[in-house]
Amino acid sequence: MTNHWNDIQHTDCALIIGANPAENHPISMKFVQKAKERGATVISADPRYTRTSTQAHIYAPFRSGTDIPLIGGLIHYAIENDLIHKEYVVNYTNASFLVNEDYQFNDGIFSGYDENSRSYDQSTWTFQTDEDGNILKDETLQHPRSVYQLMKEHYSRYDVDTVCSVTGTPKEDFLKMAEAFCATGQVGKSGTIMYAMGTTQHTVGSQNVRAYGLIQLLLGNIGVPGGGVNAMRGECNVQGSTDMALLFHILPGYLPAPTGTERHKDLASYNKNETPHGGWWNNRPKYLVSLLKAWYGDAATKENDFLYDYLPKNSRNSSHISLFEAMYDGDIKGMLVWGQNPIVGGPNTTKEQKAMENLDWLVAIDLWETETAAFWKQKAGSNPESINTEVFMLPACGPYEKEGAVTNSSRWKQFRWKALEPKGEAKADAWICHNLAKRVKKLYQGDNSTKGNIINALNWSFGDGDYPSNDLINREINGYDLTTGKTVLNFTQLQDDGTTSCGNWIYSGVYPDAGPDEEKNRAKDRDNKDTGMENYLNWSFAWPLNRRILYNRASADLNGQPWSDDKKVIWWDGETWANSYDVPDFAAVKAPGTPAEPGAPALAGHSGDDPFIMNAHGHGGLFAPMNDGPFPEHYEPYESPVPNAFSSVDLNPAVVIWTGDYNEKGDRSQFPIVVTTYRLTEHWQSGSMTRNLEWLSELQGHMFVELSEELAEEKGIKNKDKVVISSARGEIEAYAMVTKRFKPYTIRGEKVHHIGMPWHWGYMGITTGAIANTLTPHIGDANTMIPEYKAFLGDVRRAD
Amino acid sequence: MTTKYAKLVDTTRCNGCRACMVACKNWNDLPVDPEEFKGSYQSHDKCGANTWNMLTFTEHVAEGNRFEWLFRHTACFHCTDAACVKVCPADAMHFTEFGTVNTNYDKCIGCGYCVQNCPFGIVELETHTDENGTEYELAQKCVMCVDRLREGDQPACVEICHMDALIYGEKADMEALAEERLAEIKERFPNANIYNPVGVEGTQTFYLLAEPPSVYGLPENPRVPLSATVWKDYAQPLGKAMLGVTTMAVIGGYISNKLFNKDDHGADEGEESNE
Repeated sequence: MTNHWNDIQHTDCALIIGANPAENHPISMKFVQKAKERGATVISADPRYTRTSTQAHIYAPFRSGTDIPLIGGLIHYAIENDLIHKEYVVNYTNASFLVNEDYQFNDGIFSGYDENSRSYDQSTWTFQTDEDGNILKDETLQHPRSVYQLMKEHYSRYDVDTVCSVTGTPKEDFLKMAEAFCATGQVGKSGTIMYAMGTTQHTVGSQNVRAYGLIQLLLGNIGVPGGGVNAMRGECNVQGSTDMALLFHILPGYLPAPTGTERHKDLASYNKNETPHGGWWNNRPKYLVSLLKAWYGDAATKENDFLYDYLPKNSRNSSHISLFEAMYDGDIKGMLVWGQNPIVGGPNTTKEQKAMENLDWLVAIDLWETETAAFWKQKAGSNPESINTEVFMLPACGPYEKEGAVTNSSRWKQFRWKALEPKGEAKADAWICHNLAKRVKKLYQGDNSTKGNIINALNWSFGDGDYPSNDLINREINGYDLTTGKTVLNFTQLQDDGTTSCGNWIYSGVYPDAGPDEEKNRAKDRDNKDTGMENYLNWSFAWPLNRRILYNRASADLNGQPWSDDKKVIWWDGETWANSYDVPDFAAVKAPGTPAEPGAPALAGHSGDDPFIMNAHGHGGLFAPMNDGPFPEHYEPYESPVPNAFSSVDLNPAVVIWTGDYNEKGDRSQFPIVVTTYRLTEHWQSGSMTRNLEWLSELQGHMFVELSEELAEEKGIKNKDKVVISSARGEIEAYAMVTKRFKPYTIRGEKVHHIGMPWHWGYMGITTGAIANTLTPHIGDANTMIPEYKAFLGDVRRAD
Repeated sequence: MTTKYAKLVDTTRCNGCRACMVACKNWNDLPVDPEEFKGSYQSHDKCGANTWNMLTFTEHVAEGNRFEWLFRHTACFHCTDAACVKVCPADAMHFTEFGTVNTNYDKCIGCGYCVQNCPFGIVELETHTDENGTEYELAQKCVMCVDRLREGDQPACVEICHMDALIYGEKADMEALAEERLAEIKERFPNANIYNPVGVEGTQTFYLLAEPPSVYGLPENPRVPLSATVWKDYAQPLGKAMLGVTTMAVIGGYISNKLFNKDDHGADEGEESNE
């Protein structure tokens, strides 16, 4: 989140899209309710009427997979009706920048496209500069090559009639939504966008989020209380695990993972190619070297490039789908499945289950035996005799049986104390990881092979105990001054010369300035006194630097004063920004109006009015390169009921298309119904925890599919009938839930049915049912490869 | 008893998470009572011996084609003139110092009169087995977490409700709050109303409803069955005086079966539990 949970109450309008917080983030609705009590309007945009919709003033249905038309329509509406926050847009975004003359967009394709590699050469997606490298601007926003004019032209195609014909939203509902949300462009008003996996799990998932960023920048809603683009995370520590680089393409703190290319062939090349001249990321080399010092300790020296060579270099994409494709092809022989249940949660269950048959060994670490751990059993539809995989199960602790911190969607790192002793032989994740590392190191002791050297160089200083010291882990994350042995105050003290270490720069400051005998874990801070605008600065630690609202310089105008009195975050008091309600996301003593030092690196190159300090140019990026374009553009899902109305390009031209066994693409003639998947309040994720709890299994004890009364009528289906749902990948059986909450859509003049189902069920646990992901394909987003779970084609019929 | 207490159920704030159901089973240590698929998100047809509160899910189209998905937390109403207390021949159903209706399992003889006479169809019998393998029945229902109330805590369902859809306090305060909220939501829900039945001399659970009571399956004017009044207020005291308590309980069983006819006694919330 750019903002945080408690801050939602300050919004004037909450647009809840791609999310169903009443069901999946129930506590957040407490803050939505507070906002309502203060007079806010709540909008629920969703393919079906949900428990969240019951709390909304405006419900706007839209076909799954059409976020960009919907938001593009808002952008168009805001521009055409002059509802944008002009002063903010001109000064704080890159709207005035002049774009490279060679940048083009024609019929769904941006300049630089290569059809064979399905990728873009982004060299024309740049700004015009003078001889000194300064970006050319037109602050009147009238120049035809300005970002603003190009954007205006791009979204001129997203007029309300075209948009509604694609999304299926009744025009009246769209206009109600547009009027309410775009009203937050007024100076002193704010609107928030709350989103979740309904946004991201598409072939255009990243650009869906970008589209939210665009409308929020245009309305001046970033950096202000009650504003922001707010990802509601689906697990208590998804934020923390992403920060700590659970994903393959990043190192801790969002440093790009090195690849096996020339760009990253040694530390100097990596630094040269990954360090922008302007903006905060100019400090990146300090963070990487400090990370290498944390990981390799004394073995990492300036002379040996701090053992940069020992970091794994990605030779290919290692996201979920890629891993299972590789496993299917026999390239992966062993798998640790840790708190994950891909047989239920991964796309294309049949293929992934087949892929697992190629494993020599599988280690499943969880509280219960999951579907993934049991993939070889008869109840999985497998023939145990023909599967040679050796399966190990390690019992894991539940959340209350171990200590440690989790980071919530607000970026708050909160320590949790152990409440219960674990049952039986169950162990904490940290114990399992610690002992695995210790045993691997022991195994390679004295081994001078390259592999042995890498493992032996690894610094593992978490105490001599059987259980790793949580305190030492937190100190390592915070970082040390290696000269004094004290922890560093925060990341501003980190160096690239090997004198500091830091396990994750964005968390630096969580354990500040502590000697070996001082305990200063700020994740344990529990002062619930409001320090102003419900930011609670002494409750837990928010990364970075305990900031609660990111980009908060943008909450103040060019004079450094809040846009309105009831939306105060930080302000300039004549000397500093620091005497405010939040930690300034800005140089504390840089006055408004301070000119930028021409050509200077890092923040010195930014003026006193450049709030977006992470960006090289200090401005919010309306125009910003992604793998699939600098502006979000609508493409239909991989499987779609209609051709693309906005261009002749149906599918995002930059996604990887997986072919091969078990991954047939469905055609609309055979599978005419739009299908989506989702979660329910009563179950969590793949159900591996909740379907093993009686009281939750009692509340939702049956796998079902939701369909409209109209579709039920057409298909001769009655409520509670058993039905078969099919896609090109397979068929599953479920109960029919005939409901008024789904309605047929009119898409480009034709009636299109839409159904949806939860993806919680599988064959293990107290309540069992069909696995929804049997139906989903292997296809992912162009930037993240997140699977497109949310929109595909299928059909439904009675089971008899 | 001077102060009256009540649980206000504000259906317009409820977003259907059902934490109240889990909190109830957790605190009161109630076993599961899984039922077949209902064709909606609703888990049970009605409250039962092991499901002391439950949520109804109703899809409703109001005037002007206005669609509403309505949730209602339902549990014992804790009537002031409680039919279950009236008809109980063993004094197992009784009032507490909070005015709530409690069950005394040591006294309950499992006769089921309370089940037959509850105007809201809440009470249910549960079969238990003693150490000798003998089966016996007990009448079970929501007790408003009287053990928590005695410790100064809120009922479990109220404590867990993050939307303040459930609030417990002095009834006069709750009524004032209900009026205040009613005024706030009239625009969003033009048919909103306060359901605070008077036919049973008031209840300790009452509602702010988004739509008319009938939409939620609630009786418009619940009352204590006449037969129960006749029995408790006239026949039983007279009989006890003339025949002694034990004999009267036996005779009472016969008379009750003849006398009490459930169909006459206001609307029920739903079908009998089938589990």
